Amino acid sequence: MMDIKQKIESVINNLNELPSIPEVTSKIINMVNDPEVSFKKVADEISKNQSITTNLLKLSNSAFFSKGKEITSIDRAIVTLGLKEVKNIVLLVTAKPILEKEVIGYDLEKGALWEHGLAVATASRRISLLIKRKDISDVVFTGGLIHNVGKVVLAIYVQSLFKEILNAVETKKIPFYMAEREIMGYDHQEVGERILAKWNFPPVLKSIVKYYLEPELAPAEHALEVSIVHISNALCLMAGVGIGSDGLYQEYSRFAMGKVKLSDQDIVTLYSEVPEILNEIKNLK
Amino acid sequence: MTNLLTNIGVAQIKTASSPGILRTILGSCVGVCIYDRMKKIGGMAHILLPSNLSDSTRPEKFADTAVPMLVKQLIGEGARKEFLSAKIAGGASMFKFGANTMLGQIGDKNVEMVKNVLSRLGIPIVAEDTGGNSGRVIDFFLEDGRMRVKTMGQEKYYYKI
Repeated sequence: MMDIKQKIESVINNLNELPSIPEVTSKIINMVNDPEVSFKKVADEISKNQSITTNLLKLSNSAFFSKGKEITSIDRAIVTLGLKEVKNIVLLVTAKPILEKEVIGYDLEKGALWEHGLAVATASRRISLLIKRKDISDVVFTGGLIHNVGKVVLAIYVQSLFKEILNAVETKKIPFYMAEREIMGYDHQEVGERILAKWNFPPVLKSIVKYYLEPELAPAEHALEVSIVHISNALCLMAGVGIGSDGLYQEYSRFAMGKVKLSDQDIVTLYSEVPEILNEIKNLK
Repeated sequence: MTNLLTNIGVAQIKTASSPGILRTILGSCVGVCIYDRMKKIGGMAHILLPSNLSDSTRPEKFADTAVPMLVKQLIGEGARKEFLSAKIAGGASMFKFGANTMLGQIGDKNVEMVKNVLSRLGIPIVAEDTGGNSGRVIDFFLEDGRMRVKTMGQEKYYYKI
């Protein structure tokens, strides 16, 4: 088992072994936080990549993102949908190949992790609008989309150590991610944070990935965003969306409930809307 | 084999006949498999919540409306009520709840309501794989009415019909 721990350690610490995302995604995700950013610069950056451009235009005209008017250029997309929405679409297009693969170990068939990310992203956006925080809706959408990217890297180790992890869950009565940490030295949240560091993603997204299962540990300035994704993740898993071998072996945080300030009834209503959320995202899969 | 398989999404109801297979993935939701052992037809409902809390949306989501819908659909397809039996699976809960919320009870309440409705309809439950904290993938084989439950890397079969 020590061998595997060391192997994981070396993978985590070797940037070449972690998944890559096109540079344009990292650039744009940081550009939109710059109040001085020029639309033209963003459009130029996207236009350099033909396949991203094509997919972005396709998604801009999908039922999920479309505002009615047909969008035929990157410039129009930015003007019509806004810079933040265009950023969401760029992430969607470029993260999909990483997240849509089958994830062994966690027992997620091809597309299941991706669908889960889309559902959590959409539910998170709904929560942000429900609590009148439109200003963070794009951040929780992005964070929701990639919150469990670490599973992609840890999967093969979870596969070989599954019995040990499950045994720790059952004998010590701890959540699955704590057992990951105990048996492998790392949990998928920390691995996810490493991946986002490689991608040069902003701190709030790193907080979401690192703390979505333990929102009370998040830096205070990101606690709300993290809590929103925490709740969305719980709702989607309960509905069976992207539920894998780690099942519901995690805690539902009282802290997150308090932070988001939604009533029990609001949360149950949101849970009852998971089928509508799945319907919304079905063309994004 | 794969062309026999029909996936059932959250809050969907579907029926099939032998040798079809119905599959769904469950967390706190409950999968209700109803089988007519003479006709070898059956159906599955993927239930999200016990009962309709507000005036919202689709009846397929709720145990109190979805189960009667499924039975009605099967009878419309030629099933006879006296030959029907049910198997149920799912209804898991989050490992720990920081607060005693309604959300934490949904798994148990789903199971409870499904049982009430089936008993009211006079349909016996011949197998049950519910509760706990694990997700489940269930396959319902219409050739003989068996249900396979995959959970945490293990498989269980329920044959009684």
